[in-house]
Amino acid sequence: MTMNVADRKARPAIDAKEYKGEVHPDWCPGCGDFGVLNCVQRALGELGIPQHEVAVISGIGCSSNLAGFINTYGMHTLHGRSLPNAQGFKIAHHDMTIVAVGGDGDGYGIGAGHLIHALRRNIDMTYIVMNNSIYGLTTGQTSPTSSFGMKTKSTPFGNPEAPLNPIALALGSGASFVARAFSGNPKQAVEIYKKAIMHKGFALIDTFSPCVTFNKVNSASFYRDNTYDMNAEGHDPSNLDAAFKIGMITPDGSQRIATGIFYINERSCYEETEKETLATPICDHKLGISAERAEKLKATFR
Amino acid sequence: MTSKNNIIVRIAGAAGDGIQSTGELLGKTISRMGLHVMAYNSFQSAIRGGHVWLQMSIGAEKQLDHGEEPEVVLLFNKTSPAVHVPDVKAGGAVFYNAGTIKKEEIESLRSDVNYYGLDFKAMTDAAGLKDVSPVMINVMLAGALVQTLHLDPKVTLEFIKHKFQKKGDDIVNLNHAIFNLGFEWTKANVKKIDVELKGNGKPKLFMSGNDALGMGLVAGGLKFYAAYPMSPATGILHYISTIAQSDKIVVKQVEDELAAINWVVGAGNAGVRAATATAGGGFCLMVEAQGLASMMEVPAVTVLVQRGGPSTGVPTKQEQADIALAMSGNGEFPKFVLAPKDMEDCFYQAARALNIAEKYQVPVIVMSDFFLSEHFETVDDLDFSKITIERGKFMTEWTSKEKYKRYAYTEDGISPRLRPGAPGAMYTVVSDEHNEYGHVMSDVEAGLPHAREGRIKMHSKRMKKIETMIVNGDAKPPTLEGEANAETTFVTWGSTYAYVQSAIKLLASEGIKVNHVNFTDIYPIPREKTLSVLKGCKRLISVEANMCNSLCHQILGETGFEISEHINRFDGEPFTGEYIVKEFKKLGSKKKQLVSV
Repeated sequence: MTMNVADRKARPAIDAKEYKGEVHPDWCPGCGDFGVLNCVQRALGELGIPQHEVAVISGIGCSSNLAGFINTYGMHTLHGRSLPNAQGFKIAHHDMTIVAVGGDGDGYGIGAGHLIHALRRNIDMTYIVMNNSIYGLTTGQTSPTSSFGMKTKSTPFGNPEAPLNPIALALGSGASFVARAFSGNPKQAVEIYKKAIMHKGFALIDTFSPCVTFNKVNSASFYRDNTYDMNAEGHDPSNLDAAFKIGMITPDGSQRIATGIFYINERSCYEETEKETLATPICDHKLGISAERAEKLKATFR
Repeated sequence: MTSKNNIIVRIAGAAGDGIQSTGELLGKTISRMGLHVMAYNSFQSAIRGGHVWLQMSIGAEKQLDHGEEPEVVLLFNKTSPAVHVPDVKAGGAVFYNAGTIKKEEIESLRSDVNYYGLDFKAMTDAAGLKDVSPVMINVMLAGALVQTLHLDPKVTLEFIKHKFQKKGDDIVNLNHAIFNLGFEWTKANVKKIDVELKGNGKPKLFMSGNDALGMGLVAGGLKFYAAYPMSPATGILHYISTIAQSDKIVVKQVEDELAAINWVVGAGNAGVRAATATAGGGFCLMVEAQGLASMMEVPAVTVLVQRGGPSTGVPTKQEQADIALAMSGNGEFPKFVLAPKDMEDCFYQAARALNIAEKYQVPVIVMSDFFLSEHFETVDDLDFSKITIERGKFMTEWTSKEKYKRYAYTEDGISPRLRPGAPGAMYTVVSDEHNEYGHVMSDVEAGLPHAREGRIKMHSKRMKKIETMIVNGDAKPPTLEGEANAETTFVTWGSTYAYVQSAIKLLASEGIKVNHVNFTDIYPIPREKTLSVLKGCKRLISVEANMCNSLCHQILGETGFEISEHINRFDGEPFTGEYIVKEFKKLGSKKKQLVSV
């Protein structure tokens, strides 16, 4: 089983420029998503995973456009459906490295139902959510992670709902890798992305990726001023209780906001439960049923 | 006087009474003797309780119809007599569980049938049998049936052994003993029924439509199956799950139908043959992704098993009203919709769907219906050698020096598809409108002159595939069966096919000549060829299990030809030949004006 890079030997690094797509990103100048794109390209390059062995799979939204800006294989799918497409792709061609990307609306709103099951299912892939706490492409409505009371076009009198906490949600859903990054801290983000890609299982990285146009609250300077590296301050990612404790803190600036790896659990990934079927990627299996097998299949109905 | 070679049997009781077990014992006996059976299950959405019945039409010939009046009935519980005794053919045999049904009560219902109460407890006690569970009455009643129908008890005993051998010899022996009690009691007490069922001794396959659909997908090279359970499509998930490990197929029960179809699109794009199945409500959730598959040009097969709608509707009943749903989606996009007509066709069409999906890089929707998917029937054989795997313009390597264009403009609208993972040809499939490379043109370019031109060209390229399906002969016109110059032609699709065949036989015996046009390919419909079939008919009457004639609307929309006479049924029960004959006679002989082009 050639499962993902976790089983591979270290490879020579590839220049991050090799992952630059032909299409220049059309994000607003200053958008946090530029930083995430750069970090993904650097992480893949430093791990030396060739472009053709990677598929970047996204949903719909500003950040989901990332799939079109990177020189790998990819799927730019429907709003909220990056994870079903990505999981189907991965199971079909499991020796490729899969990075699903998208925004907080895509992953925590319309696609939240898929997220919790992807977390517990634990297929070997990486999911980066560019979280800007706003709906950008639809010009500024409240998102699942918008703060309570936040004024947006759809909540002119303040957001009446409490925000979703993706870290606690993931920890509670049986996640095997949970991290938080910030696009304004590329050094840390690249390291987290690399560990996530190397992790044998489903890795969620909630990544603050500020929207410069529609969210004046959760800005780059807000995160620069309020975040700290939890691992540098001693958080041990094998400690689930501590991860929950820090993860339960709403990142609204009322307390310091932790970034880094909350939790890693090296439990077996989904593919290991189907070892025989996946001994070679199913996309390489010979198609059809032998005459002998056909008779056996029919015999069960006689 | 020769004996009859066909008989109708009905078994009724509460869900959980073991009706399915009796049905299985009888069905296997019949199919292993080389006889034919068609078995219709009428049930509700309850795991225990409710009132369910199984009607089986048995004979040496292929059975087209489960029939109306049973000649032999087995009644398990108290609510059964009032429901079923009135239906029994005069002179028929009514077996009942004397432990739950009172003799006086049942016999007061009518006097022109013969009643046989089996007191299960008294009989097993008298025989000194130990560890008997009340549900084992289904084995005793099977014994009664096998004797009544003059079937070969050795075949049933052999199947009982096969079925229970994992549980040990004691259980096998106990079931054999109970079977023999029913068999011997019947021999001694029951008036002989004049029927002679002679099988050809060649065991047949006894399976459901869902089994046949699942087997067809597997024969066609299925490697990935994702689904969310929903009646009446769940049987496909069950069947493929049983052989997932042995045949190296990944089967995923996922969180919802949105997930199921999107997993299929993801897997299909990665280069495997992938499918899902659902009923109408689940398909509603899959509609957006049908457009996604078509826009991305990724093969995806969805089996849509229709049931009573709208909304949750009537989950365990028959209806054929989802053509508009199968056709739906936002915008205009190529797709293929087909509907198998019987058990064998389920097998071949499921495999064919996988070929069409890959050849044209489109979503294919296989429309089944509750009756077709859930009923059991004997099948002479399924010929795997007839199944070919055609992958169309599919590559796993890119050797050209030119840059690969995933959506290259081509004459036939089909762009060569390269499996992701090949070095030097990275591309992204996209849901937005795009250029030949798959670069999105909707965000910043839409509306600019080159993007307007691009939109026209790319949209036309995709839509060209519909014409190519017709030109290549993959989209087929309806078939015309039966007498060429018949005064009347019945028009059908899906499982109604068999009932109409049955009705045509009944009418022929009265000297009324009717022939039959059946649509397997629901979309695209090749206009000219279809019109020439329809225009050659004198009087067209559609037969559909719905109120609003969905096939006729489809034909009208695709060809401009209107069928204006209809036979409908939408009470949830499938047609029968007799029902169709009755409705046909109600229409009278006066032909309505046809609007044709």
